[in-house]
Amino acid sequence: MRRLLPAAAALLLFALPLLTSNQFLLHLGVSVLLWTTLGVAWNLLGGYAGQVSFGHAAFFGAGAYTTMILYLSRGVSPWWGMLAGGAVGAALALPIGLTCFRLRGPYFSLATLAVAEIVRLVALNWESLTAGPVGLLITALPRVTLLGRDLNWERKEPFFAIAAAIAVGAMLAARWVSRSRLGGSLLAIREDEDAAEAIGIDTTRAKVAALMASAFLAGVAGGFYGLYYRYVDPDAVFPISLSVEMVFIAVVGGLRTVAGPVVGAVFLATVAELFRDRFTVGHLIFYGLFMMIVIRWLPEGIWGRALRLLPSRREP
Amino acid sequence: METFVQSLVSGVLTGSLYAMIGVGLTVIFGVMRIINLAHGEMVMLGMFGAYWSWTLWRVDPFVSGILWVPVLFLAGMLAYRFLVRPIVPGGELNTLLYTAGLSLLVANLALLLWTGDYRTLNLPYAAQPLRPLGISVPVPLFVAFALAALLTLGLYLFLARTDLGRAVRATSQDQEAAALMGIDVDRIATFTFGLGTALAGAAGVLLVPSLYLYPTVGEILVVKCFVVVVLGGLGSIPGAIAGGVLLGLVESLGAVYVSVAYKDALGFLIFLSVLLFRPQGLFGTRA
Amino acid sequence: MALLELSALTRDFGGLRAVSDLWLEVREGEILGLIGPNGAGKTTVFNLVTGFVRPSAGEARLDGRPLTGLKPHQVVRRGVARTFQIVKPFPHLTALENVSLAALVRTGSRGAAAAEAERRLAEVGLSARREAPASELTLSDQKRLEIARALATGPRLLLLDEPMGGLNPREVEQACGLVQRIRDSGVTVVLVEHVMRAIMRISQRVVVMRQGKKIADGPPQAVVADPAVMAAYFGKRAT
Repeated sequence: MRRLLPAAAALLLFALPLLTSNQFLLHLGVSVLLWTTLGVAWNLLGGYAGQVSFGHAAFFGAGAYTTMILYLSRGVSPWWGMLAGGAVGAALALPIGLTCFRLRGPYFSLATLAVAEIVRLVALNWESLTAGPVGLLITALPRVTLLGRDLNWERKEPFFAIAAAIAVGAMLAARWVSRSRLGGSLLAIREDEDAAEAIGIDTTRAKVAALMASAFLAGVAGGFYGLYYRYVDPDAVFPISLSVEMVFIAVVGGLRTVAGPVVGAVFLATVAELFRDRFTVGHLIFYGLFMMIVIRWLPEGIWGRALRLLPSRREP
Repeated sequence: METFVQSLVSGVLTGSLYAMIGVGLTVIFGVMRIINLAHGEMVMLGMFGAYWSWTLWRVDPFVSGILWVPVLFLAGMLAYRFLVRPIVPGGELNTLLYTAGLSLLVANLALLLWTGDYRTLNLPYAAQPLRPLGISVPVPLFVAFALAALLTLGLYLFLARTDLGRAVRATSQDQEAAALMGIDVDRIATFTFGLGTALAGAAGVLLVPSLYLYPTVGEILVVKCFVVVVLGGLGSIPGAIAGGVLLGLVESLGAVYVSVAYKDALGFLIFLSVLLFRPQGLFGTRA
Repeated sequence: MALLELSALTRDFGGLRAVSDLWLEVREGEILGLIGPNGAGKTTVFNLVTGFVRPSAGEARLDGRPLTGLKPHQVVRRGVARTFQIVKPFPHLTALENVSLAALVRTGSRGAAAAEAERRLAEVGLSARREAPASELTLSDQKRLEIARALATGPRLLLLDEPMGGLNPREVEQACGLVQRIRDSGVTVVLVEHVMRAIMRISQRVVVMRQGKKIADGPPQAVVADPAVMAAYFGKRAT
């Protein structure tokens, strides 16, 4: 049963476009899946290793720009472009990790904030590469055939399928990491960093590895974002608020859980859509409010609490 | 040469206000080890208070501080008592995330109430800048600088000379020892949170004639404020003052001699280097 | 040859010289007691050997090969494990998980690590508490848990930082037995401790530090009789 449940959920997910052709619902689904991926990515570092980053927008944005630039200037297919976006995100994470992980706790968090702002300012001002504040626009996506049929980029179905594949891939990766040796090291680091070193864990390496994996996922998600909206500018893909939203999804859903970010993302997207019509910023008020409520009364997050209520299962 | 002096002067003037915001954050950190991510929103509230006082009642923004600073002092104490204190035992990362939530909440409530428009406040006496020795000094910025200097001096005297001030300093040096000496650490913490918030609010009141005002301005201010306190060493008041002036100078000189586009990045680069190579701050001596 | 050699080891913190030109040899198979008044630099010596703190001068060698410059996890992999004066368990994990994580670093397989952890818990007498979260253990049990965790890394040299501090006499008795059994199993032990009775009984050799310097080195009875030690340590305690 426990093994079947995730499989059934995944099956349902991929079948959704067959059940409905409501474009708005599918769009909502795409944003939930995109947010899920970002929450899972952030959770890898923030949840499992307890390293709170306020700068993950840097990796998302780097991925988005990489995919866009490769497509616009070199004609690289978006598939490879998204992977390259992830790779650039991970590559960016290496020097950032090696420097920022010299700091611990809140100091690390502040450093990531500063790094992300530097990256944003570079993107804003390196106009020959990024077109600066004007942003990059894709007018037409390439023809892609799947099983002999052209994918129709004007509809949401293909995007939904891609987003679902990325989100499921990210969750499988998170599950794999959490059960690997690296997962054990991250757990020890979260609990007590000195003690982790004292039992022979290379804490810097483990943290950098987690950051790079996390940045890779965020970069792929960024690449997808670029293709889906066909437009990126620094304010859209590099803002501090984006980093905070990733934190929100992981915290509200449940730190250190594989499925928690799904719950967080559904929650976030629902709140956003409910309020966007009435007043543009209403959802952000609720993000702030829920973040406070969850930390105060539900520190293990919604999904974390649900797991605890279910017997016979523990996620350490 | 004139450009140099001009940027030097405006750097110091703006820096004094950064310093005040930084001092507010750093006293809170000193006593409670809390990094308050909602600190920028407190500045924003002060700015809006002064703005509405002028727009609605024609009360000079600087005069309106007499109302808003005590109001924010109270608000800070209440916020600590009912919002922040219950989550402090959960650890510093929880507190960080929690105040991030608070920041989001306050900024966007303001956005809902007052819309995202960029506002400016045009004071009649702002039209003609002072021109001592051929350099231009905007009157409101100069008044703000003078008041900030006065307030900071007042704070210094308060901390150095009064019993309550000494208790605050004692608590910030060693909470356990302070408690053993009979200091009610919880009351000091509440008071300090009020004090830090009031300083942020006062800085907001002083800044409003010189800065664009919009509800999410706190996001940028709080980041600058981190730069300021880290430059000076978290928890150190003289450090925050020096850090504020330094950031003001880096920004104004950087804009002239490096590049306008990268003047903010310059501040962050210094911030990062200090965090990495001198985590006790440029002026700290802690081993 | 000595297992661990410290030569001219020195560490300054700001203006304070916490450890000053320390020369010391630890022989294979002994229990060495390291004592001294508070602030004498004992814990700093552990931090210097295990790579948590870099020396200002001098070096530490294990089997003649330098440890200095290595990071803590590299020192552990060379066979030097430690405990902390203020215990640092992984608080939300069970006793078994605590020790398993340490064993995992060496064995690489979950099954083998769990088996090794069970053995180590039995060795320190914590098997009955294997499923208890570390934060819920008593201080005495937390100290034993830390020893089990250190042993699970497979050390040749074990540095124990006040394993008996805060324990009652019966628990001290048990801890003495444990330390002796660890030594008998072939692990060399250096022990920082304030509980003099225990030090005198189980150490082959005692080194006394004061203000960062070594002021005595010898068999327990000889050291206790040393006038310099009396003045520096016991004299101060008697007042």
